[in-house]
Amino acid sequence: MSTQAQTETQLITENINEAPKAVKEEISQEITLFAEPIVHIKNLTITNSLLTSWFAVFIIIIISLILRSKLRAVPGKFQSVFEMVVEGALGMCDQVTNDRALSVKIFPLAISAFFFILVSNWLGIMPLGGFGIVEEGKHGLLFVPFLRGATADINTTIALAVMAVIGANVFGVVSIGVWKTLNKYVNLEVIGDIFKEFRKNPSIIIVSPIKFFVGLIEIVGEFAKVASLSFRLFGNVFAGEVLLASMAALMAYIVPIPFLFLEILVGVVQALIFSILLVVYFTIGASDHDEHHEEHHEVNKIHEENRHGKEEDRLIKEAIEEIA
Amino acid sequence: MESIISTFHIDWKIIIAQAINFGVVFTVLYLYALKPLSKLMSERSEKIGRGIDDAKINAELLEKTRKEYEDVISKAKTEANKIFQDSKKEALAEKAQMLEGAKNEVTTVIENGKKMLEAEKVKMLEETKKEIVNLAMLATEKLISTKIDKSFNDKTVKDLNNL
Repeated sequence: MSTQAQTETQLITENINEAPKAVKEEISQEITLFAEPIVHIKNLTITNSLLTSWFAVFIIIIISLILRSKLRAVPGKFQSVFEMVVEGALGMCDQVTNDRALSVKIFPLAISAFFFILVSNWLGIMPLGGFGIVEEGKHGLLFVPFLRGATADINTTIALAVMAVIGANVFGVVSIGVWKTLNKYVNLEVIGDIFKEFRKNPSIIIVSPIKFFVGLIEIVGEFAKVASLSFRLFGNVFAGEVLLASMAALMAYIVPIPFLFLEILVGVVQALIFSILLVVYFTIGASDHDEHHEEHHEVNKIHEENRHGKEEDRLIKEAIEEIA
Repeated sequence: MESIISTFHIDWKIIIAQAINFGVVFTVLYLYALKPLSKLMSERSEKIGRGIDDAKINAELLEKTRKEYEDVISKAKTEANKIFQDSKKEALAEKAQMLEGAKNEVTTVIENGKKMLEAEKVKMLEETKKEIVNLAMLATEKLISTKIDKSFNDKTVKDLNNL
């Protein structure tokens, strides 16, 4: 909110207070695609979604500290619940990675994403949204709530998605090395194979450029991952908030309740989807394409050997027949 | 692209701020919750695993000890039975031997008794004879003191010799 707008809002508020007989403007609330600014600190605009995000961080820190202080060899109720969640989540990671060691490496990041998104989603649908400020809008006074689901702001989801995709590639570099990770996108190996295997297999001159091009498409795929992750999460959470606001506008007290429960569920599901996709991307990042390539080579070799064996059998049979 | 940025109010500063937020969440969760919890859970799993192994070893040991105990008891029973049987046999043999000894002793005692009786009888007869002789002597002396002649004397000597 600019200083001019603040001054205008203040003036309007003063006018309302000081001149009760004047025409009172109705305060309305707009549902915007973007997070509304609350405060400006120098160049940084503090939006309501950023506030919610800080609140979520604060809650998670408090929960973590409480858990840390209550950790016992014989777990209490709180610790048991957390252990159950961790065990379940690790099991789900295992289903994706098929490798416990890999799951253990990816798990902390995935569960952090899950909790951050979950708490942010749930904070967005909390009735605390009733607290906010009134400011001058284009069509009169506007109510701006202090809390808006952090994931109902595309900036948050973009931040998470970019971190997930970059993290997956960094994890790939750490797991399988720079060369193999690079070859997933700029496949220099297949170009080298043209010169190495052209005599043995002339068809490689067609296959290798295709593979190289597929590698380039993978680069586009990485951007697509960012877009899909961020817009999926943002779209679902934002749609939920719009739905709740619409239902509240229809009938403020009872009608939104079932939808509130639905949104609680949606919050969990969306956090889960994001976390699982993060695990999937990290697993793909840590997988080596050459292993499949080598397996394919092995299979071809076996087929080739079988073919040669059959050829030999046929020649022997023909020789026997001739002798006979 | 511009329209997307303006529509959604995409702001790189907020993106960085949110990334920092997530970084804080990850660090705090990892350091204060997940790491100690994982350590605790793995320690507990180890303990449980060790406990199960110990329980298995203890069960095996118990089974082994029970078998050994049963073997020992069985051996002891067999040995006790054997000892009992041997003792019984020994006792019976001793009993028979004692009976035999007693019988022999009784026989010896009877034999000795008979011998003693015989000796006593002979002795008594000897004594009786002596007594009779003495009586006869006395009677003879008495007779002699009264009236003794040659015929009487011969007759008396003859009678005495016939005794």
